[in-house]
Amino acid sequence: MKSGIKSEVYDKLAGIAGNVSNSEIENWQKQGGKIVGYFCPFIPEEIIIAGGFLPYKVRGTGSSDTSEADEYFDTKNCSFVRHCFNHALLGKFDFLDAMIVGTGCDHTRRIFDNWQVAPLKTKLVYLLDHPRTMGTEGMEETIISYYRAQLAKMKEYLENNFGVEITVPKLRNAIKLCNETRLFQKKLYELRKVENPPITAAEMASVLMAGASIPKEQYNEYLKTLLKDLSSVQGVKKDYQARLMIIGPAIEDPLFYSLFEENGGEIVIDDTCFGARYSMKSFIDEEAEDPLHAIAKYNVSDVPFCPKINGSHKNRIEFIDKMMKEYKVDGIIGQGYVACDPWGSSFGMLSAHMKDAGIPYLRLEREYISTETGQLSTRIQAFIETIGGRK
Amino acid sequence: MIVGGCDLGSTTGKAAIMIDDKIYCGDIIPATTKPALTATMAMDSALKKAGLKSIDEIEYIIGTGYGRQKVPFASEDISEISCHGKGAYWALQSVRTIIDIGGQDCKAIAISDKGVVTQFEMNERCAAGTGRFFQVMAKVLTCGLEGIGSVSNISDNPVSISNQCSVFAESEVITLINDEKSIPDIITGINQSVAKRVVSLVRRVGIHDDVTLTGGCSKNLGLKKALENLLGTTIKPLPVDPQSIGAIGAAVFAKEKLLAKRAKELEVSSKE
Repeated sequence: MKSGIKSEVYDKLAGIAGNVSNSEIENWQKQGGKIVGYFCPFIPEEIIIAGGFLPYKVRGTGSSDTSEADEYFDTKNCSFVRHCFNHALLGKFDFLDAMIVGTGCDHTRRIFDNWQVAPLKTKLVYLLDHPRTMGTEGMEETIISYYRAQLAKMKEYLENNFGVEITVPKLRNAIKLCNETRLFQKKLYELRKVENPPITAAEMASVLMAGASIPKEQYNEYLKTLLKDLSSVQGVKKDYQARLMIIGPAIEDPLFYSLFEENGGEIVIDDTCFGARYSMKSFIDEEAEDPLHAIAKYNVSDVPFCPKINGSHKNRIEFIDKMMKEYKVDGIIGQGYVACDPWGSSFGMLSAHMKDAGIPYLRLEREYISTETGQLSTRIQAFIETIGGRK
Repeated sequence: MIVGGCDLGSTTGKAAIMIDDKIYCGDIIPATTKPALTATMAMDSALKKAGLKSIDEIEYIIGTGYGRQKVPFASEDISEISCHGKGAYWALQSVRTIIDIGGQDCKAIAISDKGVVTQFEMNERCAAGTGRFFQVMAKVLTCGLEGIGSVSNISDNPVSISNQCSVFAESEVITLINDEKSIPDIITGINQSVAKRVVSLVRRVGIHDDVTLTGGCSKNLGLKKALENLLGTTIKPLPVDPQSIGAIGAAVFAKEKLLAKRAKELEVSSKE
């Protein structure tokens, strides 16, 4: 469903989100620019940008099966990694000069293993280790230092393989640039606090996905224009029955959003990878003497966490509660891919919290790309009816 | 006031007509490959039962079930979860927990003392714990669904079926047949295996008396007994066909919607 946005910039961003590659990537390469792929929000784009590279968030847009990837992966692996790896095997990511994989969850980590043995054009692949624990008293600085050391290694890897120097001023500039993106995205989110948001969740998802696929300077310009375009319009008045918050791993499937819209649900805020988690919490210290330390601190202490981090449940609940109040949320959807181990096990904990707090909560297990939508639609419709019945 | 509900399930179509407060259920129609045709056949049967000549006599119809958006004569659609809650409460007001086991879904639904759905759980996409599972087993055992559900096949010495996937469980049952296990032992084992899966769903919403069973699988008496044993409570029978509860709930919703619509129209006309 369209909100009826009339914005050339939006159309452009939606086009970029709808395809794996885009003309800005092609232009970047024509001018001799290098592109570095990455997977997980914990992998700092700032370091990639400071090296003069274009960071590209790998995604399975347009994928319809995983038969190529299933030679390497198992049905126990989530559909997200299988669709993405399938794309890689089909040559869709051949424009990447290097690939950085993070130790997000065990499924994504296996991309690193398989990338080394599969016949892929992009030979450079690096594994960045991200800490798995937070909230242990007295350990914070040790954990930050560990991640800082890991980031320094990743920086060296890029410097040595591409003959570039990633200096402190370059890092500060990159931090500024990404903070600007966070600020604009946050402003965009805030437009959805109103009764009739001028931009839908599906449209917002396109705008965010596009941001991780093109140069940041250009993207920030687009966001500025988009904010201007949207600030003057009123959202189409819709007869929705519930304002929803959606949580879980990245949602990169427009069809999934449409299931909510069709059933009278308006998703106004999220806690998802590359969604609100990117922009909603805070910014990286631009003036820090040691920018790598600032980046490490942000990624292990400040951002809202995915449940792969041990001890992050409390932090997640606090973030969800805060967003619920700010965005006047009626109900919460916990969605995750089949076989997603970090989210799968945390949904039970979330469910218990929601029950205690009296918050309507729906748990959905789904595939990265929606194919069979009948049962999902039944659940979603019934959930929205349940909220309607309470009102 | 004449209203109706049509429940287009994955395996069968059901329709109910409510004339004032009396319900008339049509026959259970096996699903055809054309959802609109199944809906029409189900509704025609209900019309006959209600003694109506034409569907035009029905003032408001709600579609529900897997094919709810494909009911050609429905004014709007409501999920089968809400409809099973509504229908079961209409049939028996003391119901708080509904276990609906249909052709390809099973659901546990909690309702309040006002009959409003407060929480539900539904099986994930596989067929384990649904009618489809029984169909596969009935074929292997060549006993028909009647055989699976028959009281005469309840045994005190059930086998254990460990696979929840219907494809793997089918192989497991074939092994048991070749081991010359008795058919009632196998059938009771199958019913217990489905009951275990269903009860884990029910526990998520909470087991609150009265508990009732709806959907096509409510006719499986072996399953009902296995569920009662695991739940530690008796399953309350409904005074109407439990397989038509979704259609009945849809008809009750249709009545509410029609009353609300009339009240609104009255309000508008009194303002003018």
